[in-house]
Amino acid sequence: MARKNGCEEKMIDRAFVRPGMSAHEIVQKVRESKEVFLTSTAMRDAGQSDYKNRLRIHDLLTLAPLYNEMGLFSAECHGGARWHVGIMNRKENPFEEVRLLRQAMPDVLLQTLVRETSLWGYRPYPPNVVKYAVSRVDIDVWRCFSFLNDVRNMRTVAEVVMDKRKLFEPTISFTDASWTTDRYYLGVIDEIVALCGGTSDIILCIKDMAGVGTTKRIGILIDAIKQRYPELVIEYHRHMTDGLALPAYLAAAKAGAKIFDVEEDSLVRFYGEPPMLSVEAYFEEAGIHVHLNREVAEEAVLKVREWIGNYEWAESPFKGFDHTVTYHRMPGGAFPSSFEQASKGGFLELMPAILKVMSLYNQIVHYFDVTPGSQITWVTCSGVVNKYAKEKGSAGVKHLIGLLVKFVIDREQSFESMDREEQDELLMFFRNASEDFRNLILGQYGQLPNGWPADWVYKSAFGDAWQEKIKTRNDLSPVELLKEDDLDKLRAGLEEAIGRNATDEEFVLFLMHPKDAVEHIQWREKYGEAPLVLPTSIWREGLKKPGDKVEFDFWGKPYCIELASIGAEHDGVVQVVILVNNKTKVYAVQTPHAKKEDKRMAKGINDVPSPVNGTVWRIGNPKRGTLQVGDIVHKGEEMANVEAMKMENVISAPFAGQVREICIKPNELVQEGQLLFVIDKRVGDTEQGMLRDDS
Amino acid sequence: MKKEIRKVLIANRGVPAVRIMHTCRDRRIATTAVYSTPDRLAHHVYMADSAVHIGEAPPAKSYLNIGKIIEAAHTSKADAIHPGWGFLSENHQFAQAVLDEGFIWVGPPPDVIKILGDKIQAKKIAKNASVPIIPGISSVTDVKDIREWMEKDAVTFPIIIKAAAGGGGKGMVRVDSKRELVNAFNQAQSEALKSFGDKRVMAEKYIEHGRHIEVQIVGDIYGSVIHLFERECTLQRRHQKIIEEAPAPSLRADLRREICFAAVRLMRAVKYVSAGTVEFIFDALNNEFYFLEVNTRLQVEHGITELITGLDIVGMMLDIAMGKELHVKQSDIRPNRWALEVRLNAENPNNFSPSFGKITRLLVPQGPGVRIASGVYEGADIPPYYDSLIMLLITAGVNRNDAIRVMDRALGRNLRVEGVKTLAPLLLAIIRHPAFAAGELSTRFIETHMDELIAAFRYNYSEDEVLKVANYVAEVSALGPQKWM
Repeated sequence: MARKNGCEEKMIDRAFVRPGMSAHEIVQKVRESKEVFLTSTAMRDAGQSDYKNRLRIHDLLTLAPLYNEMGLFSAECHGGARWHVGIMNRKENPFEEVRLLRQAMPDVLLQTLVRETSLWGYRPYPPNVVKYAVSRVDIDVWRCFSFLNDVRNMRTVAEVVMDKRKLFEPTISFTDASWTTDRYYLGVIDEIVALCGGTSDIILCIKDMAGVGTTKRIGILIDAIKQRYPELVIEYHRHMTDGLALPAYLAAAKAGAKIFDVEEDSLVRFYGEPPMLSVEAYFEEAGIHVHLNREVAEEAVLKVREWIGNYEWAESPFKGFDHTVTYHRMPGGAFPSSFEQASKGGFLELMPAILKVMSLYNQIVHYFDVTPGSQITWVTCSGVVNKYAKEKGSAGVKHLIGLLVKFVIDREQSFESMDREEQDELLMFFRNASEDFRNLILGQYGQLPNGWPADWVYKSAFGDAWQEKIKTRNDLSPVELLKEDDLDKLRAGLEEAIGRNATDEEFVLFLMHPKDAVEHIQWREKYGEAPLVLPTSIWREGLKKPGDKVEFDFWGKPYCIELASIGAEHDGVVQVVILVNNKTKVYAVQTPHAKKEDKRMAKGINDVPSPVNGTVWRIGNPKRGTLQVGDIVHKGEEMANVEAMKMENVISAPFAGQVREICIKPNELVQEGQLLFVIDKRVGDTEQGMLRDDS
Repeated sequence: MKKEIRKVLIANRGVPAVRIMHTCRDRRIATTAVYSTPDRLAHHVYMADSAVHIGEAPPAKSYLNIGKIIEAAHTSKADAIHPGWGFLSENHQFAQAVLDEGFIWVGPPPDVIKILGDKIQAKKIAKNASVPIIPGISSVTDVKDIREWMEKDAVTFPIIIKAAAGGGGKGMVRVDSKRELVNAFNQAQSEALKSFGDKRVMAEKYIEHGRHIEVQIVGDIYGSVIHLFERECTLQRRHQKIIEEAPAPSLRADLRREICFAAVRLMRAVKYVSAGTVEFIFDALNNEFYFLEVNTRLQVEHGITELITGLDIVGMMLDIAMGKELHVKQSDIRPNRWALEVRLNAENPNNFSPSFGKITRLLVPQGPGVRIASGVYEGADIPPYYDSLIMLLITAGVNRNDAIRVMDRALGRNLRVEGVKTLAPLLLAIIRHPAFAAGELSTRFIETHMDELIAAFRYNYSEDEVLKVANYVAEVSALGPQKWM
């Protein structure tokens, strides 16, 4: 292929690495090549950083056939917050996304991003949960980071991944602070190399999630790593927030980094990864050859333009580069979502103050602002700023910042040097901090990278109990600390919630996000594959006027859904007439004004459900007559009788107890599973004899 | 004493009413439908030439209301009444009232209905006609009697308690242990009272792995009684048949002859007239059969006999009622097909909980070898007051495999019912089950294999799935972008 900038013709081996290769082989190929390689983050981090993770698989799939030809090192398409947002907002299941992508780009390495023991969730999971989940996910490259750079926490993931001969990519969280020296990072990398048994089967990633590495800093760091471990293959992951990503990339490449994260130029906004065509051109000009079929990459850039216009609503309300990221260090992935939250919470105007407080806070408690750390930072700092704003208005916020600047900058965090009143105020700073913050400083997530915070932080967070609490602080990793979860019991809980057997995949969703997984599964049972088949404009807005239609192929056959009419609202219900392949269907759509008239369903163990749809024609039984609240029933005694299509169904007491509630009236029409009675198992002593079950 | 029938009132609804109207149309006989209030727009009303409202929803106020039905026959100027199956079909008082009012009764004489409808009497008649009967006790009014009988005749559980005056599975309770006896007895008695207005029950030894085989009989008023061979109706749920076939698989030729002749013998003994069915329980392990009961009416599953013999049983009933002689002799009846029927009930296939509501879409199976008897149409409401049967699917082939293959196509590829749940997934799972294919049938087939059958349900048809998508499109079109997005 001819290069426009005069380079010699080069052939791109589009599948120089591909699924099925061992980790060792992949690493060797990259190491021995003279070129550098690209990971596309379009399918995961690009969306997370600039579109709140709303980019739908329906659109992303259009890139997959191009990726199969492009010569990428990998496609990061899984993990991070995409996982959770998929379940909650896009209604996509991460397992089906992987299946669809595998099918559409079988020769591309699929990459995930996991948060060591918290995987794709927000809390540390015990090793048995980690093993269960990791072993059920079909991913080739496992980029695994720790927001504490606590390498011990990566052990379980590393073991399962390397056991499966998949590529483990241990990742160091990077920031630029006084304590993040080369020595510090080399210490972390030593631990990683020890954990992974050398450098031959892994790729090391430097995760610059906020985009703060300067040209100089990143060049020096990579040089230092390469000097200690010349064979180590390094991937540099960097966001563009500071506006200086490209020169930093070049510095990293010159220092010996081999793989770089990029996204389609047309996808690039402000907080994601650098544009792929620009990176390629910039590197080539500098004499660094990039393994990329540029022609196909250009096609992909054009392809994005076909649908990216549908996501304007998902973009951050705060647009433009932000070089002050070097102070507040908010990661690219958290940028649009924090602005979204601030906007929803009605405190968008406080954002500059919050970012300022973050830049001071991160000097008090040392860790890396990336999930779950970035959430802890956000909740803590936005919480305090909001509190001051509510109580004392903008003057209060200004006062808070003044106090922190004085303490952190002027007094270099010498607590004793502050006035008595200021000390008292600082002691309230963490008083309303979240449980997660408390757990963090007690070591529940692992060791903090630069030691525990000062005592006043504990006094502030825990009040008088602070010394007791410090005693419970431990130096073990959650991997060693956490008790195994009872998977059978958890699964039974899921199956009870969804009313049927769960698949292993559904169970993994549940392990990560119990409540959201159940809602997701129920949502999908109701709306099926709507999130997969509908184009984004229809997905978001529906069909606008009669005659508008959406056509798609579904399970190998063509379908057409056409809007015939939308009725006026009556009693909270709108009748919508839809033609499905020309056949009329009427849907009664409940509006937010609809009266909720839900039948009470039996849920708990004390609830007695109706086994069928039918009529309760008798409450009680012929022998004792009608039942009253407070009556004692024996196990197996008939409590009611439900007739359905002329068949009688005896409702027997499941156990002996006292009737607490009778939830139906005689001759009431009941549905299957509807609550009929609530029985209290607790019974008086005098009745014990007669209540004994003699069966 | 030949009489002409010009107009028949069909004292029924749904599938049986529609089925009878089909033959009436063939014969150019006009029809009158009767309907309860919720059935005003029902399919049988649409099919009839005229229709009369007979009361409110509860059966006792409408389809069991003898006075109203007779009155309807007068006002619509019908000259005959066909009761169909269920409701008043085996009510001798109704038959008598029909005759007393000067109408032609399309069914057996009232006294025959009465005597055979009493299971205790029927057993006696069977015994006298040398037809084997099951050990049992009749006319039970107290649970003590059952205990004493079991002790005296050394009968072991399971036993079955059923209404003395019943049929069709109503008021029938199986008892597996002493502990269940009292509740079961009470339930049987109460259902008996409710369904038949008679609380007498009887108890019998329950034949484990027993198969239900029945023989179709037709007799004319001149004393000819012939059989149209047997049907196998072993597959049941809650004692109601859901799959029937003819001939009975694995019934040896000599036993087939014997069972058919036994049935004819019994029916001759009572001078049976019109169509009726003698039911047997067949102990396949010991190759023995026992008389169970006689159904003195047209039966749900008569269609499979029609398919294997080429006869129209409803037509024969009309001819007999008009005083004609049977137009076929026993030697003319030569079955040359295999036929299979499934009952499509509007029920949740997982637990048989009835499913009522509007049928929003109905695609009826077609193609070679399929016969459909439907009681509903697209848009029809299924009210909660009546039997859940909405459609019979009957298929025929040169042999059993052939009939099953056609049924598989009808249920699996052609049928589509939206708006209510049907047994279709269960029926399909049954006919695909290897034990069914091997003819290993038992009345407990469904209970025994329920988990496997449910596991074999296929829920994800693209037609269903696309409706979910359409539902989503409807909601988002009406409501606009959602908060959760």
